[in-house]
Amino acid sequence: MSNQPIIIVDHLTKQFKTAAEPSVRCISLAVKQNEIFGLLGPNGAGKTTTISMLCGLFPPSSGSITINGYNLQQNSNAVKQIIGVVPQDIALYPTLTGRENLQFFGHMYGLKGKELDVKVDVWLEKLGLTAKANHKVTEYSGGMKRRINLITGILHSPKVLFLDEPTVGVDVQSRTVIIERLKELNTEGTTIIYTSHHMEEAEHFCTRVSIIDQGKILAEDEPKALINTYPGSKNLEDVFLHLTKRKLRD
Amino acid sequence: MFTKLNAIIKKEAIILLRDKIGLSILFLMPMVLIFVMTIIQDAAFRSINESSIPIVFVNNDKDSLGDMVEFGLRNNELCKYYDSIDGKPATLVTAKQAVADGKFLLGIVIPEKATAAIRENVTQLIDESINPTEAALKLNNIKDSIEIIILIDPVTKKSFISSITSALREFISEVKTKIMFETFSEQIAEVIPDGGSKPSNTFNRSQIFKYTEQYASKNNSEIIPNAVQHNVPAWTIFAMFFIAIPLCGSIMKEKSEGSIFRLHTMPTSYLLFMQGKVVVYVIVGLIQFLLMLCVGLYILPLFGLPPLVMGDSFSGILVLTLATSLAATGYGVLVGTLANTEQQGAILGSLSVLLLSALGGIWVPTYVMSKTMRSISEISPLNWALEGYYNLFLRNDGLSSVLPAAGKLLAFFAITVAIAVTVNKMKRKT
Repeated sequence: MSNQPIIIVDHLTKQFKTAAEPSVRCISLAVKQNEIFGLLGPNGAGKTTTISMLCGLFPPSSGSITINGYNLQQNSNAVKQIIGVVPQDIALYPTLTGRENLQFFGHMYGLKGKELDVKVDVWLEKLGLTAKANHKVTEYSGGMKRRINLITGILHSPKVLFLDEPTVGVDVQSRTVIIERLKELNTEGTTIIYTSHHMEEAEHFCTRVSIIDQGKILAEDEPKALINTYPGSKNLEDVFLHLTKRKLRD
Repeated sequence: MFTKLNAIIKKEAIILLRDKIGLSILFLMPMVLIFVMTIIQDAAFRSINESSIPIVFVNNDKDSLGDMVEFGLRNNELCKYYDSIDGKPATLVTAKQAVADGKFLLGIVIPEKATAAIRENVTQLIDESINPTEAALKLNNIKDSIEIIILIDPVTKKSFISSITSALREFISEVKTKIMFETFSEQIAEVIPDGGSKPSNTFNRSQIFKYTEQYASKNNSEIIPNAVQHNVPAWTIFAMFFIAIPLCGSIMKEKSEGSIFRLHTMPTSYLLFMQGKVVVYVIVGLIQFLLMLCVGLYILPLFGLPPLVMGDSFSGILVLTLATSLAATGYGVLVGTLANTEQQGAILGSLSVLLLSALGGIWVPTYVMSKTMRSISEISPLNWALEGYYNLFLRNDGLSSVLPAAGKLLAFFAITVAIAVTVNKMKRKT
């Protein structure tokens, strides 16, 4: 793993016009190349807002984002060429087949011809979707939709991959396959930024995590180091509850 | 860029082709609309141009005026002549009752001795001119005006009434002139003993004016205005602009399904994405246009309507149709970008197209609008397109006549797409 940060987030704030409080409050992060960086927090903590700003969906109210040396606000197209995004909600065309969806989104990342066809076939095979590749997405199960949703974000072999709760609502089998393939991708050089509510999954999957609540970073380190930092914590979930408390969130 | 554009076009086409119900709405509904509206509007056109108004005529005169009015009514295309009611000769009383019952739209009653009264008055007036002192003694004998009664069913259009009354005035004036000529000729014959040398057929020879109706066009067109010529282009434009609704629906669906969200994270601009949609929906608009022309050319004639005559300018039709289709899709892109939900898009799209079409003269011709409304109608892109098609289909003009309209429609397309792109940027910033 290189010590060179590929993502530098500096004093990032997001205040939506319709909200009374900022969703993200002056957070700073540095994610190194080939890290699997977990952004963990309860509902409404600001994880999705942070990821959305990092992948250029909307601009921050203040602060800056640098990815692979490019300032996101100034060079968004250059950044968008090297990132992949797997959103929390399924973002596919339901009346297109799985293959047609992948072909279309692949083209949008600039892939074409044989290279695209090969990548589509390889990833369909890796995630066990070859047999149903020519079926419409509407005919897919929840787990299959998740897997196609994942392939759409990784088809172009991005340098940086943003995953917003990629395993939510899927069975153990699908989750295992997804995590295995993501680890492979990371081994091949992709830096991963990942959000989840699933603490056990994050503890084993992430090389480093940041616990975020009410738009602020509460703690940041390797999972094992965090567990050791807070006495009485047996796992990452204990650390998480210790830091974010047990109060129910909206 | 072209690879991406091709991919967007392909994706859009596949989605559209798989939506069978959507496709049938896109293509069948406009054809049904154009068919129904033309048939309905044809009735209104015929009532003015072709079909006959039932008129009952009571001729108590039995002389020149009565005969001439009868002849005129029998030969007038506007009228369907009746002089009896339930097999009995019509009288003032029965005619009044029949008109009140709605059996006839108009009734005309020429009083007894109307011609004789005209003749007597004309004779006295001529006498007065020739021999003022003698005539002065008879002056008091001049009859009061002759009362011709016109019975009117309250449902009759004012335009029909004024057509009939003006025709009636024309007959009376012709009878008066004819009597004057005859009386003059007789008086002159008395003054000049050599009656054999008086000119024969004097009255008919004096009728030197004749009227020819010609439709003005730059290319000596023989296209006759009718419901088909008016309605096919009007409703075709309306249907082409209604494409804004499915196009807006397609954008809204992508917003709700999240694919637009994903596209915003990709190195593909919103403008390029919309260009792909525009290409597909412009092709849909052109196919719609062809189908609607086919309705005008082949289907409407099966129902007794005249076939559509498209003029001679193929290039004019192509340029104008392309510009209209682009304007309609540009508008759809704008509505789809402005709306936040599918319901908002459907309501905003359909109501605004209805409003623009009403303003543009699709429902009611602009020439019957007030001056203010006529000025307002000029802001509607549907009005620009309609004027362009009228130039081609009714006035038989060429390509150059539609260039101003096509230019405005293309500018409308560019402006709507530019606004959509700006609005999209602003929405993402908030």
